[in-house]
Amino acid sequence: MDENNGHDDVLVIGAGMAGIEASLRLALAGRHVHLVEESPCFGGSVIRFEDIYPNMDCATCMIAPLQQDLLQNASIDLLTLSRVEKVSGNAGKFKVRVKKKASYVSAETCIGCGMCFEACPVSLDNDFEEGMAQRKAIYVPAAGALPNVPSIDTDNCLRFKGEECNACIEACMFEAIVMDDKDEVLDLDVAAILVATGYGLMDLKPMKRFGYGKVPDVLSSVAFARLYASNGPTEGELKLRSGDAPSSVAVVQCVGREETGYCSAVCCLNSLKFAHYVDHKLPDAAVHVLHTDMCVPGKTHQRFRDKMVEHGADLVFATDVKVGKGSPGVKIAYKDGAGKAAELKVDMVVLAPAFVPSEGSKELADILGVPLDGTGFFAQGGNGGGPVSTAKEGIYVAGCATGPKGISQVVMEADMAVAAILTGTDGGVS
Amino acid sequence: MTSSDAKADSQGFRPRVVGFLCNWCSYAGADLAGTSRLDVPAAISPIRVMCSSRVDPVLIMTALMRGADGVLVTGCHPGDCHYDKGNYFARRRFALTDQILTSLGLEPERVRLSWVSASEGPRYAEVVNEFIEEIRELGPNPMRTNRSL
Amino acid sequence: MARRIGFFICECGPNIGENVDIDAVLNAVEDMDDVVLAARFGLMCSGPGKDFLKANIKTEKLTHLVVAACSPKQHELTFMEVCEDSGINPFLFQLTNIREQVAWVTKDKEEATEKTIRLAKAAIRRVRYHDPLSKTALAVNADVLVIGGGVAGMAAALRLASPERRVHLVERSSSLGGRVVAQGPIYPTMASGGEMATAMVDLVEGNDWIVVHRYSEVSVVVGFFGNFEVVVTGELEDGGTLETKVNVGAGVVATGAEVLEGKPLEDLGHGSIDGVVSSAELEAMLADGSIGGKGGKAPKSVAFVQCVGRDEVGYCSEICCMNSAKQARLLLEAAKGAKVHILYRDLCVPGRDQQAFLEGAVKAGANLVRTTSVEVGGSKGGITVSHSLGDGKAEKLMVDMVVLSPAMVPPTGTEGMAEMLNVELDPSGFLLEAHAKLEPMAAGIDGIYLAGSASGPRSVSDSIVQAEACAGRVLSSLIPGRTIEPEIRVSHILETLCTGCQTCLEVCCYGAIVYDPMKNVSHINAAICRGCGNCVAACPSNAISLYHFTYKQLYQEIVEAIR
Repeated sequence: MDENNGHDDVLVIGAGMAGIEASLRLALAGRHVHLVEESPCFGGSVIRFEDIYPNMDCATCMIAPLQQDLLQNASIDLLTLSRVEKVSGNAGKFKVRVKKKASYVSAETCIGCGMCFEACPVSLDNDFEEGMAQRKAIYVPAAGALPNVPSIDTDNCLRFKGEECNACIEACMFEAIVMDDKDEVLDLDVAAILVATGYGLMDLKPMKRFGYGKVPDVLSSVAFARLYASNGPTEGELKLRSGDAPSSVAVVQCVGREETGYCSAVCCLNSLKFAHYVDHKLPDAAVHVLHTDMCVPGKTHQRFRDKMVEHGADLVFATDVKVGKGSPGVKIAYKDGAGKAAELKVDMVVLAPAFVPSEGSKELADILGVPLDGTGFFAQGGNGGGPVSTAKEGIYVAGCATGPKGISQVVMEADMAVAAILTGTDGGVS
Repeated sequence: MTSSDAKADSQGFRPRVVGFLCNWCSYAGADLAGTSRLDVPAAISPIRVMCSSRVDPVLIMTALMRGADGVLVTGCHPGDCHYDKGNYFARRRFALTDQILTSLGLEPERVRLSWVSASEGPRYAEVVNEFIEEIRELGPNPMRTNRSL
Repeated sequence: MARRIGFFICECGPNIGENVDIDAVLNAVEDMDDVVLAARFGLMCSGPGKDFLKANIKTEKLTHLVVAACSPKQHELTFMEVCEDSGINPFLFQLTNIREQVAWVTKDKEEATEKTIRLAKAAIRRVRYHDPLSKTALAVNADVLVIGGGVAGMAAALRLASPERRVHLVERSSSLGGRVVAQGPIYPTMASGGEMATAMVDLVEGNDWIVVHRYSEVSVVVGFFGNFEVVVTGELEDGGTLETKVNVGAGVVATGAEVLEGKPLEDLGHGSIDGVVSSAELEAMLADGSIGGKGGKAPKSVAFVQCVGRDEVGYCSEICCMNSAKQARLLLEAAKGAKVHILYRDLCVPGRDQQAFLEGAVKAGANLVRTTSVEVGGSKGGITVSHSLGDGKAEKLMVDMVVLSPAMVPPTGTEGMAEMLNVELDPSGFLLEAHAKLEPMAAGIDGIYLAGSASGPRSVSDSIVQAEACAGRVLSSLIPGRTIEPEIRVSHILETLCTGCQTCLEVCCYGAIVYDPMKNVSHINAAICRGCGNCVAACPSNAISLYHFTYKQLYQEIVEAIR
């Protein structure tokens, strides 16, 4: 490790699809990688999905071998609960300060048995499950999340609120709970930096016309994905708040497209996948996909759309969509292809929000000294470099940090960044 | 459902089932059933293979001839195979297995092929529970005479 | 040497210890053949646990190791390393999973104990039949073959070529640059495609480490990742051919795509109605000044018709909406005041910048019309374009130019290319990726990569991204002077049993098996085999065996598992 004092180490920020791919390839090439991830587990957005369109590949099966490689790779320092605080220097010799939050659980001694969360008396909404399930104050986000080492959420742990509680400490047979764990500051020397911080989803609440947060059984796409997930809050059962199975579901596309001014590239296909989910779990339920442009680019995706239509998915051209309470259920008012007012009553509505820059993009951009573009994503191709370069030499960017795109494009950009890092040039042709 | 299936029922039947699990999807799914602390009948003895396509009629018949009451083969869902198309081959070979079983006078239901992905801990538990239930209804493998070598 | 098997059961604290009667397990296995030691430990994967194993291996002179603990996904490698450190071949080891698949899923302790005993015995019986296996290191050739001299091929070649890595760039035609050389501005930057391609051609030609084979095609590719033998067949001026043999470690296929021709375009008047042109023809007219230039035409009204041939090919070609938006912008610059309509079905403008670019065309005057069907007819005053609107009503436009946006299709010769490389085709006839999501830049054959539109319609910038991704894969795995270690647990054929029926060749997804007609037997290339075992199951004469998953090993496991 660090044979050359970090002179060709690489810092990768974000352990989602792009960060994992790049880290593994860089490690294979003999580089030492510091992979910094803000959350307690790696896998990013992909691990929230059960299946991946258009072939309905199981997402977990797809990335489990990569995760396994990542955990076992001696050339990759996986720094979860960490963030980059300061960067100085130039290409080939960056100095990076990373703050690693205390997890209060020793990764060396914890065996991931989960006895601690059984013992913990605190229960709260699990964000990973969009609040549809509970978690403890000591937790892993979901069964199967990796690394399988819990961490303590200090905002909610009783001890950190000054109360007397030793539940997890007593439950752990391995003495893996380390209450005097401290935040760590790591100073790293790296030759190159790759930003792979992914995307966020548009906040649905301010867009009042979609009824999110007000009308029952109006879900975000992520919540619906978790409902379907066999490791999710319902173990894969699609159900309404009442506990019944919906007899009709509508997926509303382009939620927030007007506000952002761009097409988020993957939502149409993701929604068709949701139509498949419904067809698969509830073959008698009706599925409506309300869309403007049905965006199914590439050689395989239209076939997927056609297949879903064959399976009964009702594709509805709809503009000016408004979602409100029905009695019972949910009522959707919209304008059809001819511009006429139309209505649809369903049991459940799934909203497909636009991709937006991930939280903290601005702060990270400032720390790195690279610009964002007008939409708030990382700007590409400064210095006449290719799409994975930034305005600063030696700092690269890949995946949804620069805008919405599908997994295959994310992986390709990650590998393009690897090519740039390994050859030490921006390269690329604008 | 409970996992009391390994014990003898009122007729003294203790089902014994071999489960061939593919390494990439189903084995991980079975592990997840464990991580999630689900109930999986102890009657199943998992055997890890790299791919469901490795499980040929010979292995299945070996298990049955040696006295297994049932054989469960689990692989990645169609399209998910780590080796591209191995699970399709496994499925194709099942037609032959069916035929062999029938010609030997064994119920084809004693052998089952199911798809279990790495995220389907609950499904793994469900598939095994269902299968053991079915084997319980079928009763002991009539060929089970001598289990020792 | 006599076998001396050590059996170790991990308590995993209370995780196994509380749910399984460990002593009962030890009692049940200690008298088994070849077992010289059966022992327990609190946490086997810990430092002290590993030391405990190592000490016992040494004092008991163990030859084989069985550990009953957690899932192999957790600690198989950990214990294999212990074996290696202790001088035991790591394959003379078996881990049996009694945590995830026994203790954690079985509530009844008696049942859990019984199952653990079955699995422990199965592992012990199995390990007796294990063979020591070892890694092989293969020397590699780091040179790379790139097929196709368009922007994708050139981008890959430029990224890969170095003093340590020669690139052979094979181009069918007389010159490099491909389609893009003839292009004007490309979206979204509106930089000149032609200038960019020409600049790349200069860089390629000036690069000492890129060998350009013009007028040439690749006629033979045999071998495997790290060691391919390639024959490049070049056409000579006298009409003869010249065969050049080159050795490379990897290949990048960058053969591009073609534009659909024929009926779907003819049905819309292409070739029969004056003024009906394809988007490629318009591109050329814009580039050579025959529109807007001095003495060039300036159409007053133009209709772009999108999705030509989309129904016939069965897919959306991804780039046509953006291309028409670009051409509309150029037209509106070249022919000021013209009326431009873009007749589309679905606007396909995925991504951060695309919609804004399209809106730019609208701002410049383009009129977007959503339509479901289009007919084109000639008439005296110009061209009639009738199309139906979303409400089912029809509308007629009179224009003096119609631009058809045809689908992108695989280039001629794709099938032959696929067969030669042993790469599959997808239902649309493009080359198929190893994995649509995780390996969109690789073919199903190790060491063969796909760049640009060879695997589906792609824009210029996406083609370059994919080419660079190919380079990233090659740069990270095929490193000059380094060896590669192929999979150890692979299949092999016993020649004496092989009847040469070639059933195995049919089922192998990796092309790892070749038939030797001289000996009438088949042979598995261990460097290509991934060890799935499909061929083992397919072989009707029982001639194939998969290392570490042999029939004997699995038989032993089965027998104990059902006791």
